[in-house]
Amino acid sequence: MTAEDNDLAEDSPVLVAVMNNRRDFSIARDQGWYRIPRERAPSRIGADYLAFYQTKSFGEERWAIHYYGPIRHFRIAPRGDLLPEEPDHPRVDELYYKIEIGPLQHLPRPIPSRRLRRITFIPTTLDRLLHAEEINDLWIGGVVEERLWRAFKEHGIDAERNYPLREKDEAYQIDFAVLCRHGNVAILLEGEPSVENVHIIREQPRIEDYDLAAHGWTILRVPCSEIIDSLPGCLDSILTAMARHGAPSAHPQR
Amino acid sequence: MASLVKPYFSMDTMRLGFPVNVLGQPGLKSHDTRRWRNHPHLSVSLAYLRDIFVYLHRQGIRMYRMASDLAPYVTHPDMPWFHSQIDECATELTVLGETVKSQRLRLSFHQSLSNVMNAQDEAIARNSAAQITAQARILESMGLGPEAVIVTHVGGVYGDRESALERFTEGYRRLPEFVRRRLALENDDRHFCVADIVHIHHETEVPLVFDYLHFLNHNAQGIPMMEALDLCLRSWPHGVKPKVHFSSPRTAMRVIEQTHSETSQKTRRLRAPRPIQHADFIDPFQFVSFVRAAKDRNLRAFDVMLEAKAKDLAVLHLRKQMARFAPETMSE
Repeated sequence: MTAEDNDLAEDSPVLVAVMNNRRDFSIARDQGWYRIPRERAPSRIGADYLAFYQTKSFGEERWAIHYYGPIRHFRIAPRGDLLPEEPDHPRVDELYYKIEIGPLQHLPRPIPSRRLRRITFIPTTLDRLLHAEEINDLWIGGVVEERLWRAFKEHGIDAERNYPLREKDEAYQIDFAVLCRHGNVAILLEGEPSVENVHIIREQPRIEDYDLAAHGWTILRVPCSEIIDSLPGCLDSILTAMARHGAPSAHPQR
Repeated sequence: MASLVKPYFSMDTMRLGFPVNVLGQPGLKSHDTRRWRNHPHLSVSLAYLRDIFVYLHRQGIRMYRMASDLAPYVTHPDMPWFHSQIDECATELTVLGETVKSQRLRLSFHQSLSNVMNAQDEAIARNSAAQITAQARILESMGLGPEAVIVTHVGGVYGDRESALERFTEGYRRLPEFVRRRLALENDDRHFCVADIVHIHHETEVPLVFDYLHFLNHNAQGIPMMEALDLCLRSWPHGVKPKVHFSSPRTAMRVIEQTHSETSQKTRRLRAPRPIQHADFIDPFQFVSFVRAAKDRNLRAFDVMLEAKAKDLAVLHLRKQMARFAPETMSE
């Protein structure tokens, strides 16, 4: 069954998970399940579909999403029950989510990651999965973030969304990162809760807690009100900062 | 004076909750909404629910109403293949229940309008009882304490109030004991007011949920509000914290969009709000007055389910407003 011949909405949630070895891919394709350790599960696992971002182990299919499948069940079981052939694994007794899926389907076109960046889990929608040109199109942001992303695409600004940084055990995200030849620009949106005066906690720790400047980043803080009121001016500021660091480094790290 | 405030009316102990949909984080679903042919399953709903619990934990919200269709088609008479979902999810329910307990989260269900326990049509009444039983089994499987309840209304009048009340009582008595323990009865805004549900309580001992806006809309006996609240609070078993529903009446203009059936032309009409409609947010002055009045009368402590259209955003906003307008409620 494909998305077209059932009654699922285009906003059906999809979880993009990382597939980093051929054995797990065979399990997903032939046995119809994927696992996530419960203790290290992301904040969002619920979805109607599961899609796989394939890493460097997959030859010509590497660094892209090619397959997805409908989720049937979420089970919870010790790792030892899921993989009995590994009785000595150090996490044999730990609980895992076993996500059972239907037959894998090919996407109409693969969704590549343009840069070698860390991908973990991406919650997205079926509509985005079926129409994305690249990984950055999958993320769902607030109204202003989406507007800025569309403007970047229209103006050929080669940015990465939700760019991950990690320090010790903490994970941080930059709203938009522009990786240039002579340095990187971090664009941080300010003041974009769903309702302006209701405090919404962000998914990740505040990026202010990560010393971006000390790690060589140029920081641009852009108030969301400016994006709404003066988008061309915002784009000028961003382009100026990019020009100081040379043009974006297109696919430089492959 | 803060020193005179009863500890149980502090915001530390009075939980504020919201029903079903999360607005503060885009994309969080309340349950598996797929149609039957796409194989929806309770286990998928539980994964969505787990994500909501992560969000609630981050926001410090400790009260939540789950979707009544959490287990899709679980009692559908023509789809028996969906009937075993709760048994199939025994492990997942137990594990999620542990999360609920560790977060000190108070969960509940609320019967949908299609479930009418006192329906004259026996098939509808039977299916309503089956739905309530399924929800009770979910709460039991999660290992939750007695404060996790299923809230229901009496139902319809069908032209004879006495018979309607009697049918509810009979239906209640027919439920298995473990289901009766989970049920709580709420006053509604048209048919059965607090006096009616107090009558049912005397017959059955079912605990009563006081609904603020329903009370304002329908109080046939003219019972003073705090007296009605007290009657409801005292109906709960010793050691089980009562819960109350609170919402403010909508005052904003309604915009009604209509599409002409033949021309497909769309028209917009303005209408004044109706007093039974919920506002987007909670009027903090109404809420503070209500809580203070209960405190002044030394009533039993309770949790509050906020039935506002802005859902979790209304909870977050009210907490902020309480800190401003009633700071004594923010600490012991």
